[in-house]
Amino acid sequence: MQHLANLNELRGQAGEIAIKVEGLSHVYPGADGGVPALADIDMSVGKGRFVVIVGPSGCGKTSLLMMMAGLRRQSQGRILCLGQPIPEPDPQRVGVVFQEASLFPWLSTLDNIEFPLSLRGMPRAERRRRSQAMLSLVGLEGFGERYPHELSGGMKQRVSIARGLVQDPPVLLMDEPFAALDEQTRMTMGHELLRIWSTARKTVVFVTHSLTEAVYLADEVLVMSPRPGRLIDHIEVGLPRPRTYEMMATEVFGKLRNRIWQQIRKTV
Amino acid sequence: MRRPAPATVRWMVLVALLALWEVVPLTGALPELFLPALSKTLTVLWIDRDIYFAALLVTLYEVALSMLIACGLGILAGALVGGLAVLRILLLPIFSSLYAVPIVILYPIFTAWFGIGSSSKIAFAGIYGFFPVMLSTAAGIRTIDPQFLLAARSMGATLPQQITRVIIPASLPTVFAGLRLGGALAIIGVVVSEMLTASAGIGYLVTLNRTILDSPRVFAAILAILVLSIAYYMLARALESRMLVWQTAGRRRTSSAPQIAATVPAPSAA
Repeated sequence: MQHLANLNELRGQAGEIAIKVEGLSHVYPGADGGVPALADIDMSVGKGRFVVIVGPSGCGKTSLLMMMAGLRRQSQGRILCLGQPIPEPDPQRVGVVFQEASLFPWLSTLDNIEFPLSLRGMPRAERRRRSQAMLSLVGLEGFGERYPHELSGGMKQRVSIARGLVQDPPVLLMDEPFAALDEQTRMTMGHELLRIWSTARKTVVFVTHSLTEAVYLADEVLVMSPRPGRLIDHIEVGLPRPRTYEMMATEVFGKLRNRIWQQIRKTV
Repeated sequence: MRRPAPATVRWMVLVALLALWEVVPLTGALPELFLPALSKTLTVLWIDRDIYFAALLVTLYEVALSMLIACGLGILAGALVGGLAVLRILLLPIFSSLYAVPIVILYPIFTAWFGIGSSSKIAFAGIYGFFPVMLSTAAGIRTIDPQFLLAARSMGATLPQQITRVIIPASLPTVFAGLRLGGALAIIGVVVSEMLTASAGIGYLVTLNRTILDSPRVFAAILAILVLSIAYYMLARALESRMLVWQTAGRRRTSSAPQIAATVPAPSAA
């Protein structure tokens, strides 16, 4: 596909790998040798790519993401993030956006966005400048002094994305960030995320169980089987960017969506 | 007709009660021994103001120190028990059941150990107030959303940072509820112990004047205690709402809220 090759060149990083997962398996400790959660995962994510992992609930896709973030240790195999292992969370390499917005209710919107910067001891003026920039990037000017309970679900996720991006990490990991939102807000937020991604140019790994969301957002879709999670399909989406809502009605979109569904259906 | 504000109603009820206190004894419906008129109570309070003031100072001193013990030890023990699983499993059931024991039964022993002066009151009221502070601190720490800590770790928070930036602010509302209750119990503890065995303090004045059937002076002491407790409660609430300003933020400025539709760009179809 011509335009796809062009896009990769546009990002100027064709072929470079941001995340590499090799021979990864994970077993939750317990009686009878524990519960196998992930098995034989090998994958790589190119720099600047938007990769979506889909799979049924409980297939271990969130665990895999937490391992990429350095928040959890796998039993076997290794993960390289920008060429280096990630034994501990490293917010300057990897930003994480969680399913629940997990904003701190005692901090204002701006203070929430600045939180990772203040942990590093960055001076207040510099922090404010950066968090203000992030606030306008996610379209929430004027809400900087609000507290999380004053924001809607979609707005909270915008703040959460801003917080994930504020350290300008090359990699952004997103764990079902829109799962708690209603369908309309979810579609709007997906569209917004693509807009933000097109300006911020991050490598994104996005976990979801929504097939439509997966096809709409992704460059590549990785399909996982139920527990123990394995990668059972790898799909290049190849729809042109910027994506539009109209594309969802096209045959290509339907076929891609159907292919993922068939893969998942086979296994459950 | 517009319904009056709750605050107005509360003040009206208070004024009505005070008026009843003044009027009912004047009608002779109740003998003065049962209920002396408000004016008479205030008069003896004024005449004996030096005595009452001195007693109040003793009580305040004991209350202050016992609150310090209750809050300090309560928060420390609560943090340890709430934060460390081993201590929680070992100690929490013990503390929870001790809380149900009427600790006042220990007071005679305390007077034997510490004498009938201020020390025994401080020790007793301190322990009395300790339990709610300790239990709610433990609960506050135990019930923190684990997602908060996960998010903080993902942003690079070290363990000390997780404690100061997440665990403490997240548990503050529950801890404050415990402090409010613990402080109130400390006041009760001091007054009760003064009434039982003492040689000074407001509680002592209640008992002393009751034994000589000087009803106006009993009520004067009761009035002083009432004012003390209400002042404490209002102070605690004011401090709490200052510290936890984020809990009520939205209700203060809903009228000036900018419209979300104006700031969030509508998704374009293209």
